[in-house]
Amino acid sequence: MSLATSLGAGGNLLEQGPAQAKRLEVPTPILSNADLETIRHVTQRQFPAVTISTTFHSDGGVRALEEGLERICRLASEKIREGYTVLVLSDRHVDANHAPIPALLATAAVHHHLVREHTRSGVGMVIETGEAREVMHIALLVGFGAETVNPYLALETVAELLRRGLLPAGTDLARAKERYIHALYKGVRKVISKMGISTIDSYSGAQIFEAVGLAPELINRYFPGTSSRLGGIGLDVVAEETLMRHRMAFPERSVDPVSLAGGGDYQWRRDGEAHAWNPTTISLLQHAVRGGGPQSYEAFAAEVNDESRTLKTLRGLFDIKGDREPVPLDEVEPATEIVHRFCTGAMSFGAISKEMHETLAIAMNRLGAKSNTGEGGEDPERYVVDANGDNRRSAIKQVASGRFGVTANYLVNADELQIKIAQGAKPGEGGQLPGNKVDEVIARLRYSTPGVGLISPPPHHDIYSIEDLAQLIHDLKMANPEARISVKLVSEVGVGTVAAGVAKARAEHIVIAGYDGGTGASPLSSVKHAGVPWELGLSETQQVLVAQGLRSRVVLQVDGQLKTGRDVLVGAMLGADEFGFSTAPLIASGCVMMRVCHLNTCPVGIATHDPELRKRFAGTPEHVIAFMLFLAEDVRERMAGLGFRRFEELIGRSDLLQPRTDIEHWKARLLDLSALLHRTDAAPEETHHTLSQEHHLEDVLDQRLIELATPALERGDPVRLKLRVRNVDRTVGGMLSGAVARRYGEHGLPDDTIRIDLHGSAGGSFGAWLAPGITLSLRGEANDYVGKGLSGGRLIVSSPPNVSRAAEDNVVIGNVALYGATSGELFVNGVAGERFGVRNSGAVAIVEGVGDHACEYMTGGRVVILGRCGRNLAAGMSGGVAYVVDMDGRLHEHFNLAMVGLEELDGEDAQFLHDVITRHREYTGSLLASRMLQDWKASLGGFVKVMPNELRRVLSLKARLDVPA
Amino acid sequence: MSRTGFMEHPREPRHKRPVVARVGDYREVYISHPLTTLRTQAARCMDCAVPFCHQGCPLGNLIPEWNELVHDGEWEQAITRLHLTNNFPEFTGTLCPAPCEPACVLAINSDAVTIKDIELSIIDRAFEEGWVRAQPPGSRTGKRVAVVGSGPAGLAAAQQLNRAGHRVTVYEKADRAGGLLRYGIPDFKMEKHRLERRLALLEAEGIVFECNYEIGRTISAEELRRSFDAVMLCVGAERGRDVHTPGRSLPGVHLAMDYLVQQNRRVTGEAVPAAGAISAAGRRVVIIGGGDTAADCLGNAHREGCASVEVLSVYPEPPQTRPAGNPWPEWPLVLQTYPAHEEGGRRQYGVMVTGFQGSERVETIETVECEVHRAGSRRDFTPRPGSEGLMPADLVLLAIGFDGVASASLVESLGARLTDSGAIAVDADFCAAPGVFASGDATRGASLIVWAIAEGRQAAAACDRYLAALPKS
Ligand SMILES: Cc1cc2nc3c(=O)[nH]c(=O)nc-3n(C[C@H](O)[C@H](O)[C@H](O)COP(=O)(O)OP(=O)(O)OC[C@H]3O[C@@H](n4cnc5c(N)ncnc54)[C@H](O)[C@@H]3O)c2cc1C
Ligand code: SF4
Ligand code: SF4
Repeated sequence: MSLATSLGAGGNLLEQGPAQAKRLEVPTPILSNADLETIRHVTQRQFPAVTISTTFHSDGGVRALEEGLERICRLASEKIREGYTVLVLSDRHVDANHAPIPALLATAAVHHHLVREHTRSGVGMVIETGEAREVMHIALLVGFGAETVNPYLALETVAELLRRGLLPAGTDLARAKERYIHALYKGVRKVISKMGISTIDSYSGAQIFEAVGLAPELINRYFPGTSSRLGGIGLDVVAEETLMRHRMAFPERSVDPVSLAGGGDYQWRRDGEAHAWNPTTISLLQHAVRGGGPQSYEAFAAEVNDESRTLKTLRGLFDIKGDREPVPLDEVEPATEIVHRFCTGAMSFGAISKEMHETLAIAMNRLGAKSNTGEGGEDPERYVVDANGDNRRSAIKQVASGRFGVTANYLVNADELQIKIAQGAKPGEGGQLPGNKVDEVIARLRYSTPGVGLISPPPHHDIYSIEDLAQLIHDLKMANPEARISVKLVSEVGVGTVAAGVAKARAEHIVIAGYDGGTGASPLSSVKHAGVPWELGLSETQQVLVAQGLRSRVVLQVDGQLKTGRDVLVGAMLGADEFGFSTAPLIASGCVMMRVCHLNTCPVGIATHDPELRKRFAGTPEHVIAFMLFLAEDVRERMAGLGFRRFEELIGRSDLLQPRTDIEHWKARLLDLSALLHRTDAAPEETHHTLSQEHHLEDVLDQRLIELATPALERGDPVRLKLRVRNVDRTVGGMLSGAVARRYGEHGLPDDTIRIDLHGSAGGSFGAWLAPGITLSLRGEANDYVGKGLSGGRLIVSSPPNVSRAAEDNVVIGNVALYGATSGELFVNGVAGERFGVRNSGAVAIVEGVGDHACEYMTGGRVVILGRCGRNLAAGMSGGVAYVVDMDGRLHEHFNLAMVGLEELDGEDAQFLHDVITRHREYTGSLLASRMLQDWKASLGGFVKVMPNELRRVLSLKARLDVPA
Repeated sequence: MSRTGFMEHPREPRHKRPVVARVGDYREVYISHPLTTLRTQAARCMDCAVPFCHQGCPLGNLIPEWNELVHDGEWEQAITRLHLTNNFPEFTGTLCPAPCEPACVLAINSDAVTIKDIELSIIDRAFEEGWVRAQPPGSRTGKRVAVVGSGPAGLAAAQQLNRAGHRVTVYEKADRAGGLLRYGIPDFKMEKHRLERRLALLEAEGIVFECNYEIGRTISAEELRRSFDAVMLCVGAERGRDVHTPGRSLPGVHLAMDYLVQQNRRVTGEAVPAAGAISAAGRRVVIIGGGDTAADCLGNAHREGCASVEVLSVYPEPPQTRPAGNPWPEWPLVLQTYPAHEEGGRRQYGVMVTGFQGSERVETIETVECEVHRAGSRRDFTPRPGSEGLMPADLVLLAIGFDGVASASLVESLGARLTDSGAIAVDADFCAAPGVFASGDATRGASLIVWAIAEGRQAAAACDRYLAALPKS
């Protein structure tokens, strides 16, 4: 992916001629000063550039700002007419009498002005600004129309750092600036790719942002088309804020010596930006659960709820106004019942230590509430109840895009299976676990190699549409019919529509995660700028689901920095049945918000695997339980005060929330909360969860398989079955595998105990989660997702006897086979579609040809490809091995060599290949296999071995350290 | 910076001179660390996202920032960041009990960063390098402020107001400036040259000091108020708490402050008139009270060559480790051991003095063991019958606290008032009456230097806002 863009007149899109090609290519949207000067002067003749100063008179207030904007728009038009093809908007000429027009405002204003005039494609826009310094700033400027940005003040700051000797000795200035630009470049690239966009030209002007707190007039005039649901400040406030900063820079007189304030944007500072978790709230909560009792909890809750001074959350902007008489506290449903609505958030064992993870599970199980595995599997030893009755099993098992450790056994040991579509703190990004946190245990649970970093792919490779999601929901339901299926979405504009689709796809539970959840391991640009508060997403979801009559079929959960009973109540009134908590229970257990979760140096033993640091963990299940009970009591007391006995009566009662009338803050008081509080008319049972989804599991093929396999399931006796399969039979073998796993655990039954011969066309997810001891042999063909999550069983697909083409030319299985397979075998006598073996972490597979992107993101297992290969083989592959026959000597062209290298085969490889190809011939009758075995020496010579660089690095390190691999 | 320093290096506070050597003089007890040690100690800081140390410090010192700068060898940057929040790091670096340290995140389960040592080293280095220079304001506002009292609160307020461009005069009733820094705190805790150096800088910045000038006596408070646009009262909490026990008037029974002032004068080489001189040399000393003042008396007594010292406290002995209900990051209510305690003497707890006996001077004191009962915020002491005893004593020093501002009439004549505990009543902006501000011990009651500086700064900022709003003169 490259961010190269071009400047100059674009001309008519529909014509094709040399004039179109006359463009100045700029390799990056971030320009150095020299680059800018080149554009300004050197290329003048071909690409005439003109600079427009974007400042306004500092004593003219909002009028001056408005006139300034009009002036730059007018100038832009004039200059285009005069023949300039590059506009440089510059705020360099700031002085005591001139303040800068905020760069984003100037950019969007000119961009939209030119779009309206139909002249925008006639020029390139370069923004020369002192304001831009972070990734988000560049992304915004480009997203609102700029082609490139010159962050001159940031570059000067780099020079200053060097001058003061704050950069490593020996750094040279040019290199330092280059690095800064490169860092911004990579950050912007990440932002763009998160949004699923792959060229800067598609991102430029795409405006994929949601504004929070800007008035409609401001939006319509300067940022048309941008969503801004809460109204807010107008141009006058923008002017005032700009002038406040200007006055700070050019003060009448100074009190303190000139040194900048700490700021405290990323780290808490006493006089800096307010943070919800600060020394006071952290220590009050910790005291409360460590013997401080209800009084300390109340002090904590009061501190958090007292948003009137700090206005940190949207919920701080409403009052709760009851419409009933209070009821006695003892008539309100008990805390022990309310806590059933609570769960802890998805934090993987990997992100947090074993001790912390198990503490949460024990606490939540004792309460009859739920904890969440997070993505990354779970140690099966935790499925066994401890001698003292404690249960370390996480009730919620997450299924994320990486599918780490998602086996049949994992799925059956769950009360809820949660498909993580996105994570609140980093929507559009997969989880990442740096190599230094992947120790032996984590690698075992994730079926990967210790020391090798793990990246979850951004998308689920089996979800490209709502139908795909419905398929995955079905797959999971098949594996574990008792578990409810949850889908986790992130709060952003449009989430309501997505949620409606999810409800129709038969999810039973939907999580709306706010933007502020998430660990210290999330990228800062995501922590700060991705997603919106849960209040917005939840209220939108509730409104859409109620309007479409879908609300009663799903449980709606909200998640994202919930801390107090008041937060829970507001959540319920905006539509939530259930509530997720992540940071608060960690704080209760001793977390002090170091935000070093990714560094493995957490000093309180929570987000670390360092054995020494883990010894410092001092949290107990009692701490977490105390917090949950305080919270539930807080909820009860408030319910009693409002006159509610049953919690469900509160759900969706947004009419009880009223915008506060006492807000005096000069900006906050401009917000309009009516869209947030809108309530769709509906019967009470239509506004919260009352019905169950219909899954039609009674008549799936697997019910028969289970019935016929009873001798094997009950006694381990071998069973042979022969059946016909049709393409309406989805997830064949999934429910049977669940049944095996439930009885026989991780290791399942002995090899081939249940052997099922099928013929016909299998529907989606054939052989999903297939457990050890089951062999599914299909003569015919299968749809997408064959062997999804293969968990130790054997899958055989052979070309039907009646096809005329040779098997190696015949596509017999669809796309995305073996996604997330952890062990087992797949033999394909024919060609597979795209993404064969994606995220395989342990299965052995042999296939006679594949489409594009085979072996993508693989972390383990072995894949043998006997025939034709598509493009982009082995992209993102960090583990496992692939053996590929080089048909025409040009195989290297098919590889994505970013992460892998090619190697010679050794004796062990030859042995393995001979064995697996022999079995392939035996199981499928493959003619290709027999031909190869006939002249084995020659066949072997045709193979190339694909080895991930990371794996090679770790293996050679191990060899050197003399540790058995 | 490496954020794993805390896993590699143990805490190493500054070393103390050996007891035998240090009781022979009045020089500072602590010795500076070499630079390499300071850097590894700074490397222990984890640069916390929520730096509890920064919350624990009343000044809001930007501790993680200067720790990192010290680790990187950026000393000049470090003093800039430190001076940003703290006018006098050499006072706090030597004298502060460092509430930042028990609040340090490392103190949860290991040993805090040596914050105070690092703070002192930054300012020491800055003075050595000549980086600390007078910063007179660029322009003057034409407004005049009188600061009454030259303790740390008065000095901090004066510096802030002067830097804002106002003309500042500091009035001090004693013959030299410094407040308790000069006449309370002994040299073995902070040598006086640190104070002199700072006073010289303040004068160089344009602050005028008027010593031997008692407001309310030298001139009246009303007159002062009339001559200035604003008044800042930093008069401390000088009313020493006394007892009314039989025999109190016997010679040889003194308030601790009377002794400490004399000692400070002697150490500085000033003459102390023989009449009324208090000396511990060769005497059996009994110090009543268990706090900082008592410890300072103890250290002085040893340096004077006393025969023996008993330190008596009515309160029970504090525990060695944090009691329940006093968790991190709160100030730990545990037994504090100062260098003076290592130098000798005996501490006794739960002992009440019931009388002083003697013919010409005090010879014996009567004691009884007692128990404490909490009655709300008050504490009552009940003697245990039969536990009465006698203790020989040639010198008794009463270090049992302070009862607020010495002169109520001064405060009242300015239109301000005192609270029940004897402090000047102020609003959230440290305003005691229109144009009259107050800060430090005078408003908090006897407290700490770090608080005095912090309040002096805040009150100065409020006073500056007041002055800015006045019509231009
Ligand atoms: C013995 C002792 C040891 C201490 N040790 C420490 C320690 O190690 N660390 C620590 O942090 N704190 C210590 N403290 C406390 C600390 O010294 C005080 O909290 C701090 O000095 C208060 O500063 P201040 O400016 O408010 O008042 P002070 O320092 O008391 O200054 C008040 C000044 O006002 C002057 N004044 C009063 N009335 C008038 C008037 N009418 N006209 C003119 N001038 C007037 C006084 O002469 C005095 O100079 C100690 C206190 C004592 C008594
Ligand atoms: S002034 Fe005191 S509390 Fe503040 S940093 Fe220094 S030693 Fe710590
Ligand atoms: S709390 Fe301790 S470790 Fe954290 S920033 Fe402060 S001094 Fe450093």
